[in-house]
Amino acid sequence: MHDSSGRITVQNLSKTFGQIPAVQNLSFTVEPGSVTGFLGPNGAGKTTTLRMLLGLVQPTAGGTTINGRPFNQLTNPGRVVGAVLEAQSFHPKRTARNHLRVYTAAMGLPDRRADEVLGLVGLAEAAHRAAGGFSMGMKQRLALATALLGDPQVLVLDEPTNGLDPEGIAWLRTFLRSFASGGRTVLISSHLLAEVEQTIDQVVIISRGQTMYYGQLDDLRKSQQTRIIVQPADAGALVTALQEGGITGIEPTPDGKVAVTGSSVQQIGDIAAKASIALYGVQEEKADLEQLFFRLTSGQYVGQLPGVPGQQPATPGQQPGMPPQAPGMPPQAMPPQGMPPQGMPPQAPGTPPQGYPPQQQPPAGPPQPYQQGPPPPGYQQGPPPPGYDQQQPGHGQHGGWGGQA
Amino acid sequence: MGNLIKAEFRKVLTTKLWWGLLIPTFVLSFAWSLGVGALIDDVSSNVADEPILRQVGLNTSELPWAIFALTRSINIAMIFPMIFGALGLATELHRKTITTSFLTASSRSALLTAKAITYALWGAIFGLVITLSASLGTVLAADSSILPGFGDWLLIVLAGLIAAVLWTLLGLGVGALIGAPVGTLVLLLIYALIIGPIAELVITGISEGGIWAGLMPNGAGNGLTGSTAGQVIVDTVRTAIENANVMVNESAVDALEVALRIAAGAPGAMVWWASGLVFLAWSLALFGAGMLRNQKRDIT
Ligand SMILES: Nc1ncnc2c1ncn2[C@@H]1O[C@H](COP(=O)(O)OP(=O)(O)OP(=O)(O)O)[C@@H](O)[C@H]1O
Ligand SMILES: [Mg+2]
Repeated sequence: MHDSSGRITVQNLSKTFGQIPAVQNLSFTVEPGSVTGFLGPNGAGKTTTLRMLLGLVQPTAGGTTINGRPFNQLTNPGRVVGAVLEAQSFHPKRTARNHLRVYTAAMGLPDRRADEVLGLVGLAEAAHRAAGGFSMGMKQRLALATALLGDPQVLVLDEPTNGLDPEGIAWLRTFLRSFASGGRTVLISSHLLAEVEQTIDQVVIISRGQTMYYGQLDDLRKSQQTRIIVQPADAGALVTALQEGGITGIEPTPDGKVAVTGSSVQQIGDIAAKASIALYGVQEEKADLEQLFFRLTSGQYVGQLPGVPGQQPATPGQQPGMPPQAPGMPPQAMPPQGMPPQGMPPQAPGTPPQGYPPQQQPPAGPPQPYQQGPPPPGYQQGPPPPGYDQQQPGHGQHGGWGGQA
Repeated sequence: MGNLIKAEFRKVLTTKLWWGLLIPTFVLSFAWSLGVGALIDDVSSNVADEPILRQVGLNTSELPWAIFALTRSINIAMIFPMIFGALGLATELHRKTITTSFLTASSRSALLTAKAITYALWGAIFGLVITLSASLGTVLAADSSILPGFGDWLLIVLAGLIAAVLWTLLGLGVGALIGAPVGTLVLLLIYALIIGPIAELVITGISEGGIWAGLMPNGAGNGLTGSTAGQVIVDTVRTAIENANVMVNESAVDALEVALRIAAGAPGAMVWWASGLVFLAWSLALFGAGMLRNQKRDIT
């Protein structure tokens, strides 16, 4: 029935709404048999990209293909691509079943398919109720049912978990995994990495319309550096010993421990032993993906606001623990809300920014500066940020890390 | 295309709008024809004074005056197919329900064409309801001596059907252009009920015998039925003239025709076929503009 691969390509895609650059030179490929997460904060351009992919929005430049063709050239698109879009609406007075039967007719499918998909998404009992009376989660399920109607090879979902209950989310995860494992393609957007982390294989992270990371989720995981928390008898002595041993990523913590990045437990143990410093505890911590995500999507400000005095995140005068705030910063540029205060660059040792993305990155222009661009001062190798000790009593520091490892 | 038309029919039939509009359509054109039918003497008296009628010594009380009850109620009821068309795309664009249709159709043009065909058919259904209820009201209200013959009646019904289809497409096109149901309805209703009729009267008054009023969308639409009615009476008169072997004064016949069109509710209208062509051009132009507007429109 399906004649082609199910591959999605996005090539140098750009869209400008009036003055607003919604998407800038975006490129990525989604392979069949995988679930790709499409992540970015609010206003990053996810919806716009997906709508361009579906032929609903005209790109300003670049293009997209599904099965090697632009969406508009698919002959029966409903049987190739199923889509759940943000704010997709239904006629409030039309019943769920009648809604679906409009599209079984349009796609030339038997009408019983409408009942099948209603059963699939758990709406069989609401089949004869008007969609206007549905709860948000029920509407989302109906949108999903509509997307599945044509038994498509490719699923494009824009924040499909919106409004779904935990059971629904769990069901969707399982469903998408099995859908993809059958050789089909899933592209799913979200602004929460944690939400899709268990579902996706590949990830495209965008911020302000530009690619921040594109590659396997596993590679992103691997790219994280481990931080080792050591509890020594004498913190000062250990810091000195480590520095003499040529280790740079050292941070004393407020509670008398020492956090080391870019090293290994053995190395630290050896140095401590040589310096005769007793270690009472050694603990390895991995940054969780969400932290990484915040860093990637907020990293743009470092690049966006150079030369604004006092606005650089790690400017010494700046209070650690405060999101780098810039007046006039575009609203969509605001990850801090959900971001643990200590998630900012200064406190985030580990992950050197150049560690992951570049090799996966299409050799294109704009995104790169963000990856490799002006190394954020104090981002990793700098001395422990001033005020760290006094300002961040114990709990704050572990916020994004503790317990996760 | 068949699939898309079937889908569009399902869209219409699974909500209440179609019968919610057909009921007032029936009521309005029936009641209007009853009213005009009862007052037909007033309507016809202006025309009955035309010199040519006295000249041929025609018994004016036996001309098919009831035809005006038909055309006037048909013309006024045209607002309903127009509303029906206006909501066809405007609501879908406004509510974004069009998104799913664009995602399942082979192309936007295919979907919009299916929409046009579906609504043209619905326009014909409205036209049928309008002409039949108007006929019913006319028959009930008017004296049988002034009813038109079957052939003439059929002509009027046909003109009414065509007008209803074109009004629906015109509404659909304007709705597609504006993309919001309220704005579309306000604009169309104000035009069709107030601005159009007044402007046509004024223009006809100013430009003695000019065709400008008949070139307006509303004037042309009304002309389709109104001029047909005029034609029917003129033909009757011509036959009478020929039978009486009187010299035919063409300018007197023209004057009669102008008066008849005013009586039929289409002041300043052109001949029925010219009116039809002009109205077709308006409908297609507005519908085409609506199509073009949505060919590339960003659905966000
Ligand atoms: N129709 C439009 N007109 C003008 N600007 C628009 C339009 N649609 C989107 N934008 C702008 O494009 C940018 C990207 O928006 P988009 O909806 O793609 O973001 P998103 O990543 O989907 O965000 P969210 O997570 O909130 O859904 C935003 O700055 C938005 O204001
Ligand atoms: Mg969005």
